[in-house]
Formats: sequence, structure tokens, C-alpha cells
Amino acid sequence: MRDQYQEQLAALADALADMCLQVATAMELATRALLEADLQLAEQVIAADVRIDDMRADAEEKAFGLLALQSPVATDLRVVIAAIHGAGDIERMGDLALHVAQAARRRHPQPVLPAEVAPYFAEMGQVGPALARKAADVIRTRDVVTATTLEADDDAMDDLHRHIFTMLMAPSWSHGVGPAVDITLLGRFYERYADHAVTVARRVVYVVTGRMPGPLAV
Amino acid sequence: MGTPWHPPAYPSQVAPPALPQLLDQLSDLLARMCTEAGANLRGATLGLLEGRRRLAEKVVAGDATMKGLRAGIEDVATDALLFHAPVAGDLRQVVAAIRSSADLERMGVLARHVAEIALRRGAPCAVPDRVQPAFTEMGRVGVALAHKAAEVVRTRNVVMAAELGRDDEAMDALLVRMFATLMDRSWPYGTAAAVDVTLLARYYERFADHAVMVATETATAVTGRRPHDLMELLGETG
Repeated sequence: MRDQYQEQLAALADALADMCLQVATAMELATRALLEADLQLAEQVIAADVRIDDMRADAEEKAFGLLALQSPVATDLRVVIAAIHGAGDIERMGDLALHVAQAARRRHPQPVLPAEVAPYFAEMGQVGPALARKAADVIRTRDVVTATTLEADDDAMDDLHRHIFTMLMAPSWSHGVGPAVDITLLGRFYERYADHAVTVARRVVYVVTGRMPGPLAV
Repeated sequence: MGTPWHPPAYPSQVAPPALPQLLDQLSDLLARMCTEAGANLRGATLGLLEGRRRLAEKVVAGDATMKGLRAGIEDVATDALLFHAPVAGDLRQVVAAIRSSADLERMGVLARHVAEIALRRGAPCAVPDRVQPAFTEMGRVGVALAHKAAEVVRTRNVVMAAELGRDDEAMDALLVRMFATLMDRSWPYGTAAAVDVTLLARYYERFADHAVMVATETATAVTGRRPHDLMELLGETG
């Protein structure tokens, strides 16, 4: 009986970790679609979003099953509650990747990003998915030390985000308001994506240690 | 490894509250969070459009209240799960409360972001004249959605919950119009103002989305159906 219970808990963690990997791929492809004005790729990301929604529904069903049939207590109860929150965060990361793909599709065949801004988005498109993959590791291993490294990685995202704003606000900005609006929203999507990954990792820390790490600056 | 977890301590002679009581507490705390989020957005909007700095400062400070309410919801929900192992509708209600508390906390953060822009810009009205009426309207719609969400979590009225989706369409329309205004070649206020307006519009829109999600969570908990089916149930098209 207990064995089956531990298996169910492990399956729940696996479901969340798989979701993380899925949204990592989604953001990578969305970024490529954005940078290369690749309509087909953008469509592919948009079409794949339902899969992430299904994965969330599946993870939630697993959590419900555990609560209803096993009545977990102590740490296990915290794990299930963290999983319910985590499923929501990770699904949202998928939505944000979707938004990036939609931006690429909306402006196609025009590129969304002026040449001098593109490299920063290329970098955000690496940092974000790397954070998602790390979150997957943290979920599987409950490794608190790795969890804390997500904070530093997120600082890199914040720096990129801030730098993009500085470029938009500079008198030398020559691309007008339209691209600035697109870039403002896109920057926000990447930044929020990273925030959600950090939040997921923080909840794992909470599950393991019983303490929530300091406040997340959002 | 780490600190061991202890269940909340009740005096040994006193039993933990009965499940219906805990569920009532959850509804009550959620409704308070909705009301608080609405008040914060109202204060932030007045700070933004009418230079009411004090109100904006209060919103920034009020973040702690929302976090406290959210922690309270998680505590009560944990007690409910731990002492009563609820099933079916009761279990759905507890889980919905846990999830909704995250949405509501986010609404508080979004209201705070609006207040922060108001404080940073400092002018009596922090947005250009041309978009001021639209933000007045966005504030009104957002606050109304928060109040309706409070009603829904208190009454668990499924029909009213479905109304929020429709009310939110007004917010989406305002957002689309706002972007059209920004993209208009005659936008004379420069890029910096456009960036702030873009972020502000997004904050209001997300605030409204979360209010809809809170109502949808409640409706799903009541009916046991996923939101998509729920709309069909109520004869809505989406």
C-alpha cells in the first residue's frame, strides 16, 4: 500500500518535471520563431500549447487522487500542495511561450525585433529554458542547493530585461513606438517565465526545509 | 534534513474546527482577498490618474496584507486536508481555495505595479491625456470584477461566476483599443510614455484575467466540471 503511495508521489513529481521540459522546448522554439520570423515554427508552438494544458490537467488529477485516496500528512501533504501550485506556474510558462510565438506570427513576414535588440532576446531565450530545465531537476531530486542557483540565473534574466528597457528609453532609439510596444511586452513575457521557474524551485525548497526562501522581487 | 514539520497545535482538549467551519473560513478569507485586491486597484488607479500619492503609497504597503491573507488560506486549507481528509466537492473546494489564493496574491502585486508607476512618474496624472479615459475605464472594470469575484466565492453562485468571463471582454476590448492608440502614427508622447502605457494596460488586463480565474475555480469546484464544459452547461459560447 505504502509502496503504491510512494509511486504515486513520484509519478506526480515526474509529471511536473515533464511539464517543465515541455515548456522549455516551447520557449526555445518560440524564441527561434521570433528571431528568424519563422511562421511555421510559430504555428507549431501555438498548436502544441494544448498539450501543456493537458499535462496540467493530468498532474492535477494525480494530485487529487493522492489527496482523496491517500490523505497524505506532513511533508507529503506539502509536496501535493506545492505540486498543485507548481502545475499552475508551469502551465503559465507555456502560455508565455505561446505569447512569444503569437507575436512572431502577428508580425510575420516582418521581423518583430530590430537587429540591435535581437541578441538580448536570443540570450533571454536561452536563460529561460535553462531555468525551466533546472526546475525539472529540482522537482525530481529535491536538491535544495540547485534550487538556490535558480535565483542567480534569474538575476541574469532581470539584467537582460533591464537593459532592453534602457535601450527603449534612450534618445537614440530610432524604431518608433510600435516596435517598442512589442518589445516591452515580449521582455515582460520572458521575465515572467523566469519568475515562475524560480517560484517552482522555491516551493521545492519549502517542501524540503519547511521554510520559504526570502521574497521574490516581482 | 531541514526543520521537521509539525501540525498546527490545538489545545489538547479542543478538537480542530469542523470541516464546514473551515470551508466557511476559506470562503471568507478569499472574499476578503478579493475585496482587498479591488480596493488596491482602485487606490492605484486614483494614484495614477489623479495624483493621489498617499493612496498609491498605501497600495504598495498593502502588499503585506495580501500575503498574510494568502498564508492564512494555506494554513486553513492544510488544516482541512490534515484533520478531515475531505473528498469530492469538499476536496475540490479546498484545492480551489489554494489555487485562488495564488491568483489573488498576484492581483495584489499587479495593483502594486500600477501604484509604483504612479509614484515613479510623480505628475498629477501619470499617463497622457489621450489614454486617461481608457485607464479610468480599465480601473472601473477591474475593480468591479474583483468585487464580483468576492460575491462568487462567498455565495458560490455558478451563474454569476460565468458572468465574469463576459465582463472581462470589456477589459480585452479596452486593451485592444489602447494598443491601437499606441500604434497610431500620431502618438505624440514618445517611446518612454508608450512603454509605461503598455505595461500599465497589461497589468490591468492580467488583474482582470486573475479575477475571472478565481470565479472559474469556484464554479469548477461547485460543479465538478472543467471550465470548458461549464460554459456549455450554462449555454455560453465561450
